[in-house]
Amino acid sequence: MIMDAVRIQEEDFSIEAEVNALRETSRRIGGIATFLGCARDFSEGRDVFSINFEQYAGMAVQEMSRLREQALKQFNIIDARIIHRITTVHAGDQIVLIVVGAEHRGPAFAACEWMIDTLKKRVPIWKKEVTPEGDSWVTEHP
Amino acid sequence: MSVRVLFFGMIAARLGQHECVLPASEGMTLAALVDEVGCADFKPLLLAVNQQQVNDLNIVVKSGDEVAIMPPFAGG
Repeated sequence: MIMDAVRIQEEDFSIEAEVNALRETSRRIGGIATFLGCARDFSEGRDVFSINFEQYAGMAVQEMSRLREQALKQFNIIDARIIHRITTVHAGDQIVLIVVGAEHRGPAFAACEWMIDTLKKRVPIWKKEVTPEGDSWVTEHP
Repeated sequence: MSVRVLFFGMIAARLGQHECVLPASEGMTLAALVDEVGCADFKPLLLAVNQQQVNDLNIVVKSGDEVAIMPPFAGG
Protein backbone atom coordinates (compact mmCIF):
# COMPACT_ATOMS: atom_id res chain seq x y z
CA MET A 1 0.00 0.00 0.00
CA ILE A 2 1.39 3.42 -0.95
CA MET A 3 0.95 5.95 1.84
CA ASP A 4 0.82 9.69 1.11
CA ALA A 5 3.96 11.56 2.17
CA VAL A 6 1.83 14.13 4.04
CA ARG A 7 -1.01 12.91 6.23
CA ILE A 8 -3.23 13.84 9.15
CA GLN A 9 -4.79 10.79 10.75
CA GLU A 10 -6.32 9.47 13.96
CA GLU A 11 -4.51 6.15 13.96
CA ASP A 12 -0.96 5.58 15.11
CA PHE A 13 1.87 5.41 12.58
CA SER A 14 4.92 3.17 12.19
CA ILE A 15 8.29 4.93 12.11
CA GLU A 16 9.80 1.96 10.33
CA ALA A 17 7.11 1.96 7.64
CA GLU A 18 7.57 5.70 7.04
CA VAL A 19 11.38 5.43 6.88
CA ASN A 20 11.07 2.51 4.47
CA ALA A 21 8.59 4.44 2.32
CA LEU A 22 11.07 7.32 2.16
CA ARG A 23 13.95 4.99 1.28
CA GLU A 24 11.89 3.54 -1.57
CA THR A 25 11.80 6.93 -3.30
CA SER A 26 15.52 7.07 -4.11
CA ARG A 27 18.66 4.97 -3.88
CA ARG A 28 20.66 8.20 -3.62
CA ILE A 29 19.57 8.79 -0.03
CA GLY A 30 22.57 8.44 2.26
CA GLY A 31 21.26 10.06 5.44
CA ILE A 32 17.83 10.09 7.05
CA ALA A 33 16.88 12.42 9.92
CA THR A 34 13.69 11.92 11.91
CA PHE A 35 11.80 13.97 14.46
CA LEU A 36 9.22 12.19 16.59
CA GLY A 37 6.96 14.23 18.84
CA CYS A 38 5.41 12.32 21.77
CA ALA A 39 2.86 13.12 24.46
CA ARG A 40 4.29 14.00 27.90
CA ASP A 41 2.66 13.21 31.24
CA PHE A 42 3.75 16.54 32.74
CA SER A 43 3.49 20.10 31.43
CA GLU A 44 3.54 23.59 32.95
CA GLY A 45 4.15 22.12 36.40
CA ARG A 46 1.21 19.72 36.49
CA ASP A 47 0.28 16.20 35.50
CA VAL A 48 -1.30 15.68 32.10
CA PHE A 49 -3.77 12.80 31.75
CA SER A 50 -4.33 13.16 28.01
CA ILE A 51 -4.15 15.60 25.11
CA ASN A 52 -6.96 16.28 22.62
CA PHE A 53 -6.06 17.65 19.21
CA GLU A 54 -8.17 19.79 16.92
CA GLN A 55 -7.39 20.82 13.34
CA TYR A 56 -8.72 23.15 10.68
CA ALA A 57 -9.58 20.32 8.29
CA GLY A 58 -8.33 20.99 4.78
CA MET A 59 -6.10 23.92 5.63
CA ALA A 60 -3.93 21.91 8.05
CA VAL A 61 -2.96 19.21 5.56
CA GLN A 62 -2.62 21.83 2.81
CA GLU A 63 -0.15 23.81 4.96
CA MET A 64 1.79 20.63 5.76
CA SER A 65 2.06 19.90 2.01
CA ARG A 66 3.28 23.45 1.38
CA LEU A 67 5.82 23.02 4.16
CA ARG A 68 7.16 19.84 2.55
CA GLU A 69 7.33 21.46 -0.90
CA GLN A 70 9.16 24.45 0.55
CA ALA A 71 11.67 22.21 2.37
CA LEU A 72 12.33 20.27 -0.86
CA LYS A 73 13.17 23.57 -2.62
CA GLN A 74 15.01 25.25 0.22
CA PHE A 75 17.27 22.43 1.42
CA ASN A 76 19.50 20.01 -0.43
CA ILE A 77 17.29 17.03 0.39
CA ILE A 78 15.75 14.26 -1.69
CA ASP A 79 12.42 13.56 -0.01
CA ALA A 80 10.46 14.23 3.17
CA ARG A 81 7.37 12.93 4.93
CA ILE A 82 5.13 14.51 7.61
CA ILE A 83 2.49 12.64 9.59
CA HIS A 84 0.45 14.27 12.36
CA ARG A 85 -2.17 12.56 14.49
CA ILE A 86 -5.45 14.26 15.43
CA THR A 87 -7.04 12.29 18.22
CA THR A 88 -6.81 11.87 21.99
CA VAL A 89 -3.34 10.77 23.04
CA HIS A 90 -1.88 9.68 26.37
CA ALA A 91 1.63 9.88 27.84
CA GLY A 92 4.14 8.22 25.58
CA ASP A 93 1.87 8.13 22.53
CA GLN A 94 3.24 9.29 19.20
CA ILE A 95 1.91 12.61 17.88
CA VAL A 96 3.96 13.81 14.93
CA LEU A 97 6.66 12.34 12.71
CA ILE A 98 8.95 14.10 10.26
CA VAL A 99 11.31 12.02 8.14
CA VAL A 100 13.84 13.67 5.82
CA GLY A 101 16.19 11.95 3.39
CA ALA A 102 19.23 13.56 1.79
CA GLU A 103 22.52 12.49 0.27
CA HIS A 104 24.28 13.63 3.45
CA ARG A 105 23.27 14.17 7.07
CA GLY A 106 23.76 17.96 7.27
CA PRO A 107 20.85 19.01 5.04
CA ALA A 108 18.69 16.20 6.45
CA PHE A 109 19.14 17.45 10.04
CA ALA A 110 18.69 21.11 9.04
CA ALA A 111 15.53 20.45 7.03
CA CYS A 112 14.04 18.24 9.75
CA GLU A 113 14.53 20.94 12.40
CA TRP A 114 13.15 23.64 10.11
CA MET A 115 10.09 21.54 9.27
CA ILE A 116 9.04 20.86 12.87
CA ASP A 117 9.73 24.48 13.91
CA THR A 118 7.72 25.81 10.97
CA LEU A 119 4.91 23.27 11.41
CA LYS A 120 4.34 24.60 14.92
CA LYS A 121 4.03 28.17 13.60
CA ARG A 122 2.11 27.61 10.38
CA VAL A 123 -0.15 24.56 10.60
CA PRO A 124 -3.61 25.16 12.12
CA ILE A 125 -3.63 22.49 14.81
CA TRP A 126 -4.45 23.05 18.49
CA LYS A 127 -4.16 20.91 21.58
CA LYS A 128 -6.01 20.81 24.86
CA GLU A 129 -4.39 19.14 27.86
CA VAL A 130 -6.59 17.30 30.32
CA THR A 131 -5.10 17.84 33.79
CA PRO A 132 -6.21 17.22 37.40
CA GLU A 133 -7.13 20.94 37.55
CA GLY A 134 -9.28 20.72 34.43
CA ASP A 135 -8.85 21.19 30.68
CA SER A 136 -6.32 23.69 29.41
CA TRP A 137 -5.70 24.87 25.83
CA VAL A 138 -2.03 25.04 24.96
CA THR A 139 -1.23 28.46 23.57
CA GLU A 140 2.50 28.50 23.07
CA HIS A 141 4.63 26.52 20.62
CA PRO A 142 7.98 25.99 22.40
CA MET B 1 -24.60 38.37 1.32
CA SER B 2 -23.34 35.96 3.93
CA VAL B 3 -20.00 34.69 5.19
CA ARG B 4 -19.27 31.40 6.95
CA VAL B 5 -17.19 32.02 10.06
CA LEU B 6 -15.27 29.21 11.76
CA PHE B 7 -13.86 29.28 15.31
CA PHE B 8 -11.18 27.00 16.72
CA GLY B 9 -9.53 25.99 19.97
CA MET B 10 -10.06 28.18 23.00
CA ILE B 11 -11.95 30.77 20.92
CA ALA B 12 -14.59 28.18 19.97
CA ALA B 13 -14.70 26.97 23.57
CA ARG B 14 -15.27 30.47 24.95
CA LEU B 15 -17.87 31.38 22.33
CA GLY B 16 -19.61 28.03 22.73
CA GLN B 17 -19.76 27.46 18.97
CA HIS B 18 -17.52 26.23 16.17
CA GLU B 19 -19.13 28.15 13.35
CA CYS B 20 -21.79 30.60 12.34
CA VAL B 21 -23.16 32.16 9.17
CA LEU B 22 -22.93 35.92 9.30
CA PRO B 23 -25.09 38.17 7.15
CA ALA B 24 -22.36 40.57 6.07
CA SER B 25 -22.82 44.07 4.75
CA GLU B 26 -21.23 45.25 1.51
CA GLY B 27 -17.63 46.33 2.08
CA MET B 28 -17.31 44.62 5.48
CA THR B 29 -13.67 44.30 6.50
CA LEU B 30 -12.13 41.46 8.49
CA ALA B 31 -11.72 43.87 11.41
CA ALA B 32 -15.46 44.62 11.37
CA LEU B 33 -16.29 40.92 11.05
CA VAL B 34 -14.06 40.00 14.01
CA ASP B 35 -15.82 42.68 16.06
CA GLU B 36 -19.26 41.59 14.88
CA VAL B 37 -18.77 37.98 16.03
CA GLY B 38 -17.44 39.07 19.42
CA CYS B 39 -13.79 38.14 18.91
CA ALA B 40 -12.15 41.58 19.09
CA ASP B 41 -10.92 40.93 22.62
CA PHE B 42 -9.11 37.69 21.75
CA LYS B 43 -5.45 38.50 21.43
CA PRO B 44 -3.43 37.28 19.72
CA LEU B 45 -5.66 35.82 17.06
CA LEU B 46 -4.95 34.51 13.60
CA LEU B 47 -7.17 34.79 10.56
CA ALA B 48 -7.65 32.83 7.36
CA VAL B 49 -9.87 33.57 4.38
CA ASN B 50 -10.79 30.55 2.28
CA GLN B 51 -8.09 28.50 4.03
CA GLN B 52 -5.30 31.02 3.34
CA GLN B 53 -3.81 32.75 6.36
CA VAL B 54 -4.00 36.55 6.11
CA ASN B 55 -2.61 39.37 8.24
CA ASP B 56 -4.43 42.38 6.81
CA LEU B 57 -7.53 43.29 8.82
CA ASN B 58 -8.56 45.71 6.07
CA ILE B 59 -9.35 42.88 3.64
CA VAL B 60 -12.97 43.13 2.49
CA VAL B 61 -14.91 39.89 2.74
CA LYS B 62 -17.05 38.66 -0.11
CA SER B 63 -20.27 36.69 -0.12
CA GLY B 64 -19.53 32.97 0.24
CA ASP B 65 -16.13 33.48 1.85
CA GLU B 66 -15.04 31.14 4.64
CA VAL B 67 -13.32 33.10 7.39
CA ALA B 68 -11.47 31.28 10.18
CA ILE B 69 -10.79 32.99 13.50
CA MET B 70 -8.04 31.07 15.26
CA PRO B 71 -5.86 31.21 18.37
CA PRO B 72 -2.09 30.71 17.88
CA PHE B 73 -1.28 27.26 16.55
CA ALA B 74 -0.03 24.55 18.89
CA GLY B 75 0.55 21.45 16.80
CA GLY B 76 3.41 19.04 17.12
